Amino acid sequence: MTDINNETQFRQALKQMSMANQREAGALFVEQVAYLADDERITFAIRVAKNKDPADDELTAAHKAAKAAAIDCYTRCGSDADWSAQAGYFVARAASAIVSPEKDVGRDGPAWTAAANSRLARTCSIIDANDEAESQEAGKQYRILEDYLNKLNKRV
Amino acid sequence: MSEATLERGLNALKEVIDTPMALFFSSCTHCGMCATACLFYTETENPAYTPINKVEPLRRLWEQEYTLVGRIKKALGMSKPITDEELEEWKEYAYNACSLCGRCTMVCPVGNDITYMIRKMREGMAASGHTPEGLVGASTRAVEIGSPMGVKLPALQAQARHVEKDTGIDIPFDVEGAEYLMLMSSMEIMNYPEYLEAVSRIFHAAGKSWTISSEAFEATNSGIQIGSSDIARQLVSRVVNAAEKLKVKTVISPECGHAYTAIRWEGPNLIGRPFPFHVKHILEVLDEFRAEGLLKTEGFEDARMTFHDPCQLVRRGGVVQQPRNLLNMVATDFVEMKDHGIMNWCCGAGGGVSANEDAEELKMKAFNRKKHQLEELDGVETLVTACANCRIQIEEGLEENEIDMPVVGLTELLAEHLVEENKTEG
Repeated sequence: MTDINNETQFRQALKQMSMANQREAGALFVEQVAYLADDERITFAIRVAKNKDPADDELTAAHKAAKAAAIDCYTRCGSDADWSAQAGYFVARAASAIVSPEKDVGRDGPAWTAAANSRLARTCSIIDANDEAESQEAGKQYRILEDYLNKLNKRV
Repeated sequence: MSEATLERGLNALKEVIDTPMALFFSSCTHCGMCATACLFYTETENPAYTPINKVEPLRRLWEQEYTLVGRIKKALGMSKPITDEELEEWKEYAYNACSLCGRCTMVCPVGNDITYMIRKMREGMAASGHTPEGLVGASTRAVEIGSPMGVKLPALQAQARHVEKDTGIDIPFDVEGAEYLMLMSSMEIMNYPEYLEAVSRIFHAAGKSWTISSEAFEATNSGIQIGSSDIARQLVSRVVNAAEKLKVKTVISPECGHAYTAIRWEGPNLIGRPFPFHVKHILEVLDEFRAEGLLKTEGFEDARMTFHDPCQLVRRGGVVQQPRNLLNMVATDFVEMKDHGIMNWCCGAGGGVSANEDAEELKMKAFNRKKHQLEELDGVETLVTACANCRIQIEEGLEENEIDMPVVGLTELLAEHLVEENKTEG
């Protein structure tokens, strides 16, 4: 049984995963916040990332679409902050991370980048709601990753 | 602010005509070199976008009011008065088609500071009410809320909590006696919160004390962009008051071009006294850390990289070598664009252009210059810059032109390679 109770354990667990598994786990994080964007391009990226062996052109198309979704909803310099739209921007960035070509995957890997951007999306929705509550997204992600790794271990 | 009227606008224009301005007008030889230096002209070939034409109403006013020939012509009814209709037409030239990038000033053979003239022309435009709606909204929010994008303190605090959770490093607010006061742009808070994470990790690793002021965290100054010295002064004063209250030694302007010009170069003149603290751009501070051995990195980027110089950093501030020193720490395959450093071409969205929705099409045309610069390079894979507004314009331009190239902020890039000897886990 895998137990994840803090950020260090979470990031170490992600680091040890293969690229395909990182994409899949990242897709699970994005799924939690995808409704904040309500964009088919995000759904497409999640579907591709969950595919164990996506074709290169499928990955490229999903990445391009997710990046375009992010650019469509960023907040322009000097315009009035729309935190609801901004949540969509971070969802799209998270989706873009899970289908990034290997050469563009940062040092942190797709799953961590997706996790961080999904948390930012949640933070934006909290700001939008004028809610003072702390985001619980990180804790949710720990549970999701535990489940994922436990299922993965059973398969092996 | 008082109600905007043509009379107020004309008075504001008369007020900005000082000796340098009069000299600039009387020495202009109409050579057209400023046109060839302006990307709004080169990418559209619209003669109305010639930089010196953007101040034509101001020039006529100078002639009519302050020259003998002009006064005679005016008395005889031989010169055209400046009207609301004309200023409304000039709104497009003075705001949408000018990013105050300063390239025209660099090439003027008689040394006229055309950018300064356009900046001053905007004072009259604002006083007469001929300003783009987007900039009016941004300036109103900056005065009333403290951010041109309406970002309130709780939003920044929420982003700070997110960073603290990810890094395990505290984001210090209102710490009296800290060495540095860190300003942020709303663009970074909203679109690139990884900047805050990067600086917190770098400063933690360097062992330097810093703080954010809950009373003045915003670096940008829409008063400069719209052309209202009153607003600009008010916004600068907030930062000065906060810096003095917290007794910091240095105020850091973030990865934003015009914010740096506003606080560092225009700031003391706006408030009418020298600052009792230094003002530096984040890249200047990081380069100092590098020189002192406080910024250590490991590993190199494989990608071929280039750097887009934000206009206000290089032309107004001379911050040319610092980003290159820093890039040298992490990039092994770095190539320069043909016109780089002080003659770099603007991204097309600075000086308030990006805040004007009706400038959308024009700013994308202006981006073509950057696109050509990138096409001239052989196989460049990543573009690095140090201004959030440049970054988003370039990302949008690349997307529009179907060019797949990541755009990254230099501070974040350095943080990716940071050696953290006393790493705190979140």
